[in-house]
Amino acid sequence: MDIEVIAEDGFGGGSYENLFREIMSDVGKAFHTEKAALVLRPEVPLFVFSVKLRAEPSSKTIADTANIRTEGSITHLTVTDERYAPDILKELWGRFGRDSVEQQTRFDMEVKDVPEKDISSIVIASGEEYLKEIVGAVWRSMPEGIKNRHTYIDGSAVTVVATEERLEPWMLEEGLGYHKKIMGAGKDV
Amino acid sequence: MYDGGIYRSEELFELIEDTGGTVIQKTRSSQMLTVTMSIPDGDVGTVSEFCREIGGEVKHVPLAGTEIAVVGPTLGRHHMPHPICDIAEHLRRQGAITVVMGLARGRGKKTAQISLEEKMIIDEYDAAVFSLGNFKTCIEAKTDLFSDIKIPTVLVSGPVPEGIDGKCDAIVSGVGRKASRMRSTSERERLDEIAEKVGMVLSDKKKALDDDPLFIYPAEIKHLLEEYEPVNMCLRPAPVVLHLDGLRIKIGYGEHREAIENMEIYGRKIGDICRLSPSKINDSSIIMRIKTRSEVRHEDEGKAGG
Repeated sequence: MDIEVIAEDGFGGGSYENLFREIMSDVGKAFHTEKAALVLRPEVPLFVFSVKLRAEPSSKTIADTANIRTEGSITHLTVTDERYAPDILKELWGRFGRDSVEQQTRFDMEVKDVPEKDISSIVIASGEEYLKEIVGAVWRSMPEGIKNRHTYIDGSAVTVVATEERLEPWMLEEGLGYHKKIMGAGKDV
Repeated sequence: MYDGGIYRSEELFELIEDTGGTVIQKTRSSQMLTVTMSIPDGDVGTVSEFCREIGGEVKHVPLAGTEIAVVGPTLGRHHMPHPICDIAEHLRRQGAITVVMGLARGRGKKTAQISLEEKMIIDEYDAAVFSLGNFKTCIEAKTDLFSDIKIPTVLVSGPVPEGIDGKCDAIVSGVGRKASRMRSTSERERLDEIAEKVGMVLSDKKKALDDDPLFIYPAEIKHLLEEYEPVNMCLRPAPVVLHLDGLRIKIGYGEHREAIENMEIYGRKIGDICRLSPSKINDSSIIMRIKTRSEVRHEDEGKAGG
């Protein structure tokens, strides 16, 4: 994850870069983040945290994250993306019960008496939920007293503009500028 | 401080008593025991040797007999637990009893504030460590949080703030907001520096007490109180905590004030040589301030004259 820090306070800039990196890792989002820009202006105060994700968040089904095959009345699943293994197991247990689902290894599962099409279409991670988690991680990284926030979301770019008291129009404009920059948007956008 | 097992610990307590020393704090966890003690200089060798003989370790803890508040702007996850808990833990390793406090409205730059009640609670301790954040302008704008505190204060912050001379007693920089524990060598050095600065500001307070000593040592009153049944039966951790100029007794003020004031030590009632007040946190603890010798003498003269 590339992080660009725009700050006059040398200590604060360095600290927030580390803080942002650590928090994104803690919440498991560092891998999904391509780059980030942190604008720190505590003298105003104004903070703009802009994040570009590696891919646009979309809903993931079991078919997207596991290989599925059927033998007789048993459907076998081999998880191909480790990050989703707990979610897959949770959904299968929740829908079909623990008696019908057997986890043989960390990535291999068997489901009894359930058609393959019913399993493959199960949504295990929604794009909206994913975006909420990203925004939550950004809020968590920001200073605690900076409570007035505005969030821009476009495709794979998320930008949070925050201040302590009133969000002035120029602050939103500045935040939008950083949002467009991280999106890589053209001048006509 | 003795750190070891409970094996033959009764003998250790007897030895401390024989030397004329006192146990400041005793914490037992399963089979392990930590004893903070105060013993005469001449007997340190004998006690250390005995501690080693029973399989424990002894180290000098400069902050023994003090209670220190570590204060953060809030109890939110942005300010807690790192580095505030690391600082509190490090001070405990130096022998202090510590409490961690978050202010109700301490967050933000322009909106940060501290209430009178919070100030009075902090003033009950021997010293306070205020841990602020990473931005110089924010720290400089938030000096009102600690400028009216009467006890010695140490400011811990990321950058070095300017223009706050006289608003706190010491500053340690290089520790800002963090999302992980302070484990690196440089971070451990910062923690050592904080403990050193706390020791330094407390030594000023100790010097002032040397000029006009307390009428009686807090440890002597602690001994007496430990025989008082409600204190003896108290299940709260550290029912009696030593301060430099008094004690915190963790039993109800309303129920026990009179009984404590009527206790006698060296032929005087405690009520005559100490001031008792309920803790500002709630009245389930008593704050006892011991009068100085000059105060007691002045009062005696007043009574004799009247």
